[in-house]
Amino acid sequence: MIYDLWLLIFDLVLLGTLLALAVAALSSPEPRRAVMLFIAFGLWLSLVWARLRAPDVALAEAAIGAGLGGALMLAAARRQAREAQQGQALAVERPSPLAVWGLAFGSLIAAAALLWVYYSTLHGGPEPERLADLALARVPESGVTNPVTSVLLNYRAYDTLLELGVLMTALLGIWSLGRASAPFQPAGPALTAMVAWVVPLLILTAGYMLWIGASAPGGAFQAGALLGAAGVILRLAGDPAAGLPGETAQRWLVSLGVAVFALVGLALMVAGLGFLTYPPDQAKWLILAVESAATVAIGATLAAAYVGGRRA
Amino acid sequence: MIDWLAITIMAPLLGAVATVLAGSGAPLPGAESETDRERADRVSRRVHRVGLLAILASSAAMLVATALVWIDGPLRSELGGWGVPLGIAISADGLSAAMLGMTALVALGISLYATGYFCRGTISVHFWPLWLLLVTALNGLFIAADLFNLYVMLELLGLAAAALGALTGSREAVSANLRYLLVGLLGSIIYLLGVALIYTGYGELDLGLVRASVAADVAAGDGMLPASALALMTAGLALKAALFPMHFWLPPAHANAPAPVSAALSALVVKAAFYLIVRLWLDGLAPAATGAGAVLIGLLGAGAVLWGSWQALRAARLKLLAAYSTVAQIGYLCLFFPLLVEIPPGPLRENLIAALLLMALTHGLAKAGLFLAAGLVQQSAGHDRIEELGGTAQNLPATTFTIALAGTALIGLPPSGSFVGKWVLMQGAIAEGQWWWVVVIAIGTLLAAAYVFRVLSRAFGLEPTPTRFVTEVRTELPAFLLALGAVAGLGLGSGLVWDLLASAPMGQGG
Amino acid sequence: MSAPFLYGAAGIILFALGLWSLLVHGPLLRRLIALNVMGGGVFHILIAVAYRGDAQAPDPVPHALVLTGIVVAVSATALALALGRRLDSGDGDD
Repeated sequence: MIYDLWLLIFDLVLLGTLLALAVAALSSPEPRRAVMLFIAFGLWLSLVWARLRAPDVALAEAAIGAGLGGALMLAAARRQAREAQQGQALAVERPSPLAVWGLAFGSLIAAAALLWVYYSTLHGGPEPERLADLALARVPESGVTNPVTSVLLNYRAYDTLLELGVLMTALLGIWSLGRASAPFQPAGPALTAMVAWVVPLLILTAGYMLWIGASAPGGAFQAGALLGAAGVILRLAGDPAAGLPGETAQRWLVSLGVAVFALVGLALMVAGLGFLTYPPDQAKWLILAVESAATVAIGATLAAAYVGGRRA
Repeated sequence: MIDWLAITIMAPLLGAVATVLAGSGAPLPGAESETDRERADRVSRRVHRVGLLAILASSAAMLVATALVWIDGPLRSELGGWGVPLGIAISADGLSAAMLGMTALVALGISLYATGYFCRGTISVHFWPLWLLLVTALNGLFIAADLFNLYVMLELLGLAAAALGALTGSREAVSANLRYLLVGLLGSIIYLLGVALIYTGYGELDLGLVRASVAADVAAGDGMLPASALALMTAGLALKAALFPMHFWLPPAHANAPAPVSAALSALVVKAAFYLIVRLWLDGLAPAATGAGAVLIGLLGAGAVLWGSWQALRAARLKLLAAYSTVAQIGYLCLFFPLLVEIPPGPLRENLIAALLLMALTHGLAKAGLFLAAGLVQQSAGHDRIEELGGTAQNLPATTFTIALAGTALIGLPPSGSFVGKWVLMQGAIAEGQWWWVVVIAIGTLLAAAYVFRVLSRAFGLEPTPTRFVTEVRTELPAFLLALGAVAGLGLGSGLVWDLLASAPMGQGG
Repeated sequence: MSAPFLYGAAGIILFALGLWSLLVHGPLLRRLIALNVMGGGVFHILIAVAYRGDAQAPDPVPHALVLTGIVVAVSATALALALGRRLDSGDGDD
């Protein structure tokens, strides 16, 4: 693909900044600074992906990858910094220069080899027929008009079902490890006022994202991430439960996504259509039902993961 | 219309959901009042019941699927009705069906044992959902026919296994399983890079379609992409399968996990990663498999056999010994690779593949039995230091017999399945003129005999003769039956494996 | 120099940078950042192969794969952080 010089310069600046942010995040020894640089890296990555015409994924990376992942890591970094202040810091072991340079050399060789393979793959012959045309052609049969949602919730729904299982597994592991960390102090008036506005707005936006995901960038994961973010903000403002209900209700919420998805799939199998085979005229509603359950589950799981344990 | 393959995934998954819901109401750790303890016991019993029901249903489904493959040939299901390459397919040939069958039996044994082992406290509330999710991941891995679906299954497997391993909460367990989690994540991301390269080069994710494209490419002389992708995927999976020298994470992780979890980790989880390497080398990316790569795997396997067996001999704890033994056994399985890549398709190759499968199955059953028995020893004596195990044989006769049976399977004595497997392997090595592998196998077998006898010799003391063979049925019987299966069942019934592979040969799943 | 190669190359470089950091640094948080950067690199390669220029709609399949991958990566990060917190605090809970 040939494109003009300005676009090339733009792309180089985008990618250069991306790599610079990555290097900065990876080489920063102080934990909080490293995490904040990582969040910046994640947001920049989302920007690059938006340039590459991947708005759904850009939203997800910004909300889940940089946003919630960054929030989780920032909480850990704060805790480490607090412990360091209280004199509980473990001795930081400096890696030997031989190891650092030797591994850098090794990584350089690996990168060069991979770049060589990648280059010859792209330029070694005619462009292979990938799945794009097939996927786009069959979107009208899938019940939604957003192609990414078609892939996620219809063609490759099985992957998404198991991915919800992965999310649930992580939370179950977190719950098994003990109590939640101490809550933050109750927020001052400014933060409380902001929270009173932001949290309802987030919930509303999540509902919008869920609905619009059928035809425009959005969907269950982005919506769920917004709900999770609402939970994080509530916890930061002093609510120890991050807006979540009691333990029994939490267990129901967290397993809702997997349960609804699996039961829909099984019902379709028993009805003779095949496991997870949606009839084309009802596909839209089935997908919406599954996505709604998934949104609630993802939001609850992410908020509960941020709480970090079982609460008294 | 019942899609048995889909049920093998949905049964444990929905079972996990059921146990999550059944576990509500448990008191928080550290609560000490009388009502709290009663509540904990009540919830614990409820979760045990629901979990056991779920695992019975899942194992039944898995055995039905295995039987169907044995009787009717390969099973295949294209989910969502979209067909490949757009949708995801799941399929079971003889290899997958055998792994499903082994998982069903081992999972049943471990689950029954767990109801007795986790009798105090609320650890069962955490164990059962994670355990059922682990079984889901295993099944999903064995029947997957899509490269990215495999990535999701690998991640599910890694997370569930690490969370389960850390359940005791001790410092060693958490630290070792955190290391396991990080190593697993590294392995997954390297594997995913391989998948990304395959999609870039061929635009497909289905194993069957990828195999065809790779074959075409290699025939045209352009094999660099598939070879690199295969190398990356194998490297990632080797980390997860604890292939020497990337085995460093396994001994502490398996030795410090609770006994039922150690059994699952050594017998099933590590085996699943190895199964994937076999699947890629002999089926999915088979045309790209190079002789040099196979010899490298064989050499690493030899290293694993020698190093793992030596470390097992020197191990101070019984569970550590068992963990190192797993490292060695994975090494044995790797010794098949240099032979399989050289030999053209035909009866000799079929024999070797069946022998590989038989050894994997035997080790699965035997190692599970050994870890379960070791757990009982640890519970009874309070520790598992081998030097101080005196009198175990008299206190727990069934358990000691189980250790002995499992030991014979690990050494490879007749009539165990691993004897048949090693015999065929040695025959194959001599037939191909690669006799040096025979030397490695011989040394490994001697070392295995040494460490098994070391354990058994300590087990006898000057205690009075026992009056009963089995002290606690719920925990001792599953361990015993698993070990017996490894020795007698798979050894005398090893023809079953050949039959299964004959009725559903590899690579012809649909 | 075409767009897919440029972007894919950036992804490979991110992968290599992350790999180096993972192997060199000890603290858990730095390793998790390294793993996430590596993951970002691989996802980037997938997004790069999905881009078909501004004239054609992009390939939705790699987008869905990356979405799945992001959620999986965050789940794993959350679990690893919880394990790390348990190690640091070392309470003797059940």
